[in-house]
Amino acid sequence: MIRRISNFISNNRRFIPLSATALLAIIAYGLGAIFFVGMRNPQVFLNLFRNSSYLLISAVGMTLVIISGGIDLSVSGIVVLTTVVSAALLQNNWNPWVVILFVLVMGMSLGAIMGSFIVYLKVQPFIATLAGMWFARGLCFFISDNAINIDDRTFKIIGQTRILIPGLKELADRQGIPAPYISIPVLIAFLVFLVAFYLAHFTRFGRTIYAIGGNQQSARLMGLPVNRTLLQVYTFNGFCSAMAGLAFALFVSSGHGLYAPGFELDVIASVVIGGTLLSGGSGYVVGTLFGVMVLAISQALIQFIGSLSSWWTKIVIGVLMLSFIGVQALLANRKVGIKALDAQAVRQNRKKFALGFGAVAILVILAILITPKLGLFSPSSTTETQQCEVKPFRKDEASSLIEGGAVIAYHRLAGPNCVDEMYAIYPDGLVLGDNGERELEKMVTPVDVELLLKTITEDYKWYGNEIRDSYHVPCRQCFAHYVIVAQDGQEKGTTAVDGGVNMPPEYGFTLAVIRPLLPEFNPSP
Amino acid sequence: MMHKKTPLTWRKITENRLFFPLVALFLILLFDFIFIPGFFAIENRDGNLYGSLIDIMRNGSTVSLLAIGMTLVIATGGIDLSVGAVMAISASVAGILMNPSALKSEVFFVTDPTYTFQPLWIVIGVALIVALFCGMWNGFLVAFMKIQPMVATLVLMIAGRGIAQLITNGLRVQITYKPFSYIGQGWIILPFSLYIVVFVLIVTSLLTRKTAFGLFIESVGINFRSSFFSGIKEKNIKFTVYALCGLCAGIAGLVACSNVKTSDANNIGLFNELDAILAVVIGGTSMSGGRFSLVASIVGALVMQAVTQSMYALGVPAFALQAIKAVVVIIVIMLFSEQFKGFVRNLGAKKKEVKP
Repeated sequence: MIRRISNFISNNRRFIPLSATALLAIIAYGLGAIFFVGMRNPQVFLNLFRNSSYLLISAVGMTLVIISGGIDLSVSGIVVLTTVVSAALLQNNWNPWVVILFVLVMGMSLGAIMGSFIVYLKVQPFIATLAGMWFARGLCFFISDNAINIDDRTFKIIGQTRILIPGLKELADRQGIPAPYISIPVLIAFLVFLVAFYLAHFTRFGRTIYAIGGNQQSARLMGLPVNRTLLQVYTFNGFCSAMAGLAFALFVSSGHGLYAPGFELDVIASVVIGGTLLSGGSGYVVGTLFGVMVLAISQALIQFIGSLSSWWTKIVIGVLMLSFIGVQALLANRKVGIKALDAQAVRQNRKKFALGFGAVAILVILAILITPKLGLFSPSSTTETQQCEVKPFRKDEASSLIEGGAVIAYHRLAGPNCVDEMYAIYPDGLVLGDNGERELEKMVTPVDVELLLKTITEDYKWYGNEIRDSYHVPCRQCFAHYVIVAQDGQEKGTTAVDGGVNMPPEYGFTLAVIRPLLPEFNPSP
Repeated sequence: MMHKKTPLTWRKITENRLFFPLVALFLILLFDFIFIPGFFAIENRDGNLYGSLIDIMRNGSTVSLLAIGMTLVIATGGIDLSVGAVMAISASVAGILMNPSALKSEVFFVTDPTYTFQPLWIVIGVALIVALFCGMWNGFLVAFMKIQPMVATLVLMIAGRGIAQLITNGLRVQITYKPFSYIGQGWIILPFSLYIVVFVLIVTSLLTRKTAFGLFIESVGINFRSSFFSGIKEKNIKFTVYALCGLCAGIAGLVACSNVKTSDANNIGLFNELDAILAVVIGGTSMSGGRFSLVASIVGALVMQAVTQSMYALGVPAFALQAIKAVVVIIVIMLFSEQFKGFVRNLGAKKKEVKP
């Protein structure tokens, strides 16, 4: 029996990383469902797809690139360029369908240009696509410095249409919860996924990609169209990136060049977790689907736990990647063992392999187990944290405070408790706060205010170019800030959102020095 | 015998590793000279020198430091994507050792320039040791676990920023301690960070050129298998190189965070790994390993910084700059392609034929 299992495993060794990922996704979701009631909600499960539709689209394209032995760092660049270009064109009243067609063609041509650099000028894929990312991201700021909102009706319809899942609706009705739904980008993501799946595993094109990834030189000697295929792969990935950009634009309904920082790393991580070898020539498109799922589930788990900060996601992704790379390294070593044809060596290798695999599996399971454990004691962990409806800044009200003699007006929105607080600091040391329900007053000394103003304007150069608007839709637990500072007839109001990399550092310091002076609505014990 | 003292021919010059990076730097400075008035002006304030040229060197010091470590890694045929994250980690460690208030989830407003939680030598020492450990981790994965360098370092690149935020509790830690800010902002005629770069460069050059270590690195980069068979412990060489790269990244992190007086896990070293790799590529070290030149890499870093600085001087916004940087990178890489190099060399050769 054991021999049969071990034979089965060694015959299907190439599926091990794939099945490990699938198993991991299922275990992670199962554990989440055991610990958190909210996670059993079918809508939460579907949200995993809704929130990562653009990641899936992009990761599918990246899978083909990585199988061909290359890499594409430009995905985040093309994604943000797509959001900005489509937002800008829609603002100029272009037909939305023409816009969609235009950005898709743009993505494909950018991909093709990078591909031709790689194929014909023999530039390393890493360098060529890196330049591509910088180029695309920089281009966004030639189009617009600020975020552009998308108000188009067609885009709204595409983004907000709810597709009910047959069967689940009745189930939800019986439980008395709203019918779970998915969105159109999810359908597009699965369409792209199916197309890539077909291309990779059932066409000559797909087999050529695998051959190139295995050994480019041999593929060339075999007479395969290496150059053409590589060009097609990068063009296809450009298309996928543009499609992901459209999905992302629908998701945030605006466009800005600072969106999605480090998105390419998430994409590459999900491909690697999906079992594709970064050295090329091996991997499955299906694996990528599970890789994206694992990423989405770990993100959801961390959100459910609540007490863990969002940066734990990065660490978990890193640990997961390490484990998968470890498994693959062991598998690669094992191949050599079989070639040796020495029974002793094979047995020894098998033992080593089993040990290593067990160690990695334990590591992964421990990571998943410990992660929820850390948050078991937090009281709010079983409820789903609702995305806060972010209101627009009340800039007029803030300006009127300044006209009323205040030197600093500060408006803070969103955050975990969805606050809406307006503060004003007057030169005589009076600080007023208003959160819509209560009004608070606090007195500090005029010297404090003077020191504060001096720090902000001189040390942090509030009126300099470094302080600029960097508003975007805040993440789940982030605050949105709007600060006006008036001094010596100068007045400047700037928006920002924390929790990302967009906020200029000086803006952060400014907030840090303002905060101690403000009255607290919920004083911490 | 006639060839004992070869004359300085065109071919000889173009074959020098420093030729193409210097040409690129010269072209950019020429552009500045023509289009930006006062770019070359150097001001003397209290005996210290200020000016755009000095700024190029000062702002380029972090990338130069990274490029030194990266050159060694790339020379062995590897790559280290994690240097930016390691910078963030070392900056976070330094920040938290000087101002541990962030651990209590509150940032208090320290204005006292003499306040520090730990003495300076402990701050710097611990931060560098942590960075060294990060480098050793990469080296362990690459050399002993035989994981592809790009993949192995990608792990730390992704997880590293998370770890840095874990250290600082996700907050930006302000650094007001005066002696520490001297690292990035002090001047002794020239910026202090410049002396750090020169010091690291001299130490690394001595290590690689006065001992066999440099030779071993190149031999591992050209063919690690044959180096192994000729008795070089290639695993140890790789391990050491990654550890050194981590250490360089740690120093760069200290310079960067002292320069902005804050330890910001999100922004410190962001995209700097890419700048460093490009600096090495511009410096002419092949990405597939082999011959390397530390000085050429530093010239490469200066090229990158000169482009940035001149675009700032022309009023190009910081983010739009990336597009221009990309175009410059593509042009430089085209300059480096074998076809173009051959073309330039043939220019000289043809002239010589015409002469007699």
